[in-house]
Amino acid sequence: MIGLKYCGGCNPFIDRTALVQKIEKLLPQGFKLSTDKPMIPWEKGILICGCPVACANRPEVKTLARQWVLISGPMIDFEKVPEEKMAEVVAGKIQL
Amino acid sequence: MALKTPEQYEESLRKMNFKIYLMGEQVKNPVDHPIIRPSMNSVKMTYTLAQDPKHEDLMTATSHLTGKKINRFCHLHQSTEDLVKKVKMQRLLGQQTGSCFQRCVGMDAINAVDSVTFEMDQKLGTQYHDRFIKFLRMMQEEDLTVDGAMTDPKGDRSLSPSQQADPDLYVHVVEKNEQGIVVRGAKAHQTGAVNSHWILVMPTMAMRKEDTDYALSFVAPADAKGITYIYGRQSCDTRKLEGVEIDVGNARFGGHEALMVFDDLFIPWEQVLMCGEHEYSGLLVERFAGYHRQSYGGCKAGVGDVLIGAAAVAADYNGAAKASHIKDKLIEMTHLNETLYACGIACSAEGHKTASGTYLINLLLANVCKQNVTRFPYEIARLAEDIAGGLMVTLASEKDLCHPKIGKMVEKYFKGVASISTEERCRILRLVENLTLGTSAVGYRTESMHGAGSPQAQRIMIARQGNLEHKKKLAKNIAGIKE
Repeated sequence: MIGLKYCGGCNPFIDRTALVQKIEKLLPQGFKLSTDKPMIPWEKGILICGCPVACANRPEVKTLARQWVLISGPMIDFEKVPEEKMAEVVAGKIQL
Repeated sequence: MALKTPEQYEESLRKMNFKIYLMGEQVKNPVDHPIIRPSMNSVKMTYTLAQDPKHEDLMTATSHLTGKKINRFCHLHQSTEDLVKKVKMQRLLGQQTGSCFQRCVGMDAINAVDSVTFEMDQKLGTQYHDRFIKFLRMMQEEDLTVDGAMTDPKGDRSLSPSQQADPDLYVHVVEKNEQGIVVRGAKAHQTGAVNSHWILVMPTMAMRKEDTDYALSFVAPADAKGITYIYGRQSCDTRKLEGVEIDVGNARFGGHEALMVFDDLFIPWEQVLMCGEHEYSGLLVERFAGYHRQSYGGCKAGVGDVLIGAAAVAADYNGAAKASHIKDKLIEMTHLNETLYACGIACSAEGHKTASGTYLINLLLANVCKQNVTRFPYEIARLAEDIAGGLMVTLASEKDLCHPKIGKMVEKYFKGVASISTEERCRILRLVENLTLGTSAVGYRTESMHGAGSPQAQRIMIARQGNLEHKKKLAKNIAGIKE
């Protein structure tokens, strides 16, 4: 199970819904995304924030998973990525 | 050392070997020159307040490199709290000096260069970030004042750097060898240049491939052989040579700018932070400008506090303080000033981490902040002049006030309310004059317009960062328009 946590979505620079759909399609069988609060921390999580402020990137959120891929607007883990390549990069990081 | 005392700062400047020209003469002792000294006092205040327990929470920070207590001006922002504290510190210093205290450009430069060199090294395999961190350690350890130098003279604005009739109108590399590079050109409007220990030079704009020689960043001692400073004039500056105090308006503090000329300046490779990587020049300019536009939400609000106070005191001394229109004008000035500050705080609170770990402000809000700064101080100044009255520009001189024969006439006819001396009234009116059209107006007015980029530069960034597509989608959704 891959954790999925969204920011509140007040100023999205990217289409968060479309991005998550693309990521889901790229993940191999057996990988499933979940927004339910976990009983024990997820092994991996995708923190998807619409803009560079990444306001959901908070300590209490970070405890929900052991390892995170942070999407903050046009950036993945603080590196700018073209929107059309974002899903591919995230899926790659999840499978590592 | 980590924190210099104000006395150590002044002494350190005395040991430097600047080549400075002011009004056609070379200045041998800038620290004690009556025109330059007030600007040195403003920078010195950044060292004074850092020693004061009442201000250390804003004025100092803990180095993420060494864990030592350092001056905040030498710090890389490690959180949004650091960004907020920076703006509060700048407001405090504006309040304490009533002028530009000059040290922000260096702080903004190190924060921009840190994240950009880090990202450059990650992508290109260069070694600029390690060099920068080595410099930063020295800067923090010795509590150095660094001049962040960005603006080139630019010559014909319709031409790119390499198309200029004179190639030196943009700073560029003229020679590279095993030891380092040789640089020629100039940086204009250099705030605090001759009160600085080192300079951190950055490209003036996004460079294209054909302008590779101009994509350049480096550090150098401010008194390096090959650097000449030509000190900028300010309105009413020669009043400082008259041996008077009241007529100067703000006799203790001030700001300064200078033209910094590089005449075949040699820079060893260890001090080079960008050399030809044109694709990163725009990012460096964008980040430095963003930090510096945030800065103005603090410093201009602090100077604005002094001007609002001066206008209110002038109203008291004129016997006009109870008039409803005066009260309303002071409210308007406060509203405008706090709006400047609000944007400075907002772009800090909405900041975010970069790949190097250093925090960057929200660029949209920082540009909105500076766009307001290009307007509001002018309105605040207009209202201050309105409240002060015409006497702020027709007042007799301090020498007439002190004259054995006519002094009594000046005393008698320039009196306001009976309980206040004419001298005190003159002092407050001269301060309003100083801030609105004297030496400090350089910092409070025209620098508010053009410093950290002219208004159009912010509008370009606002257009880029404004997320208009998202706003269109919102409108279509509400209007029931299907994509």
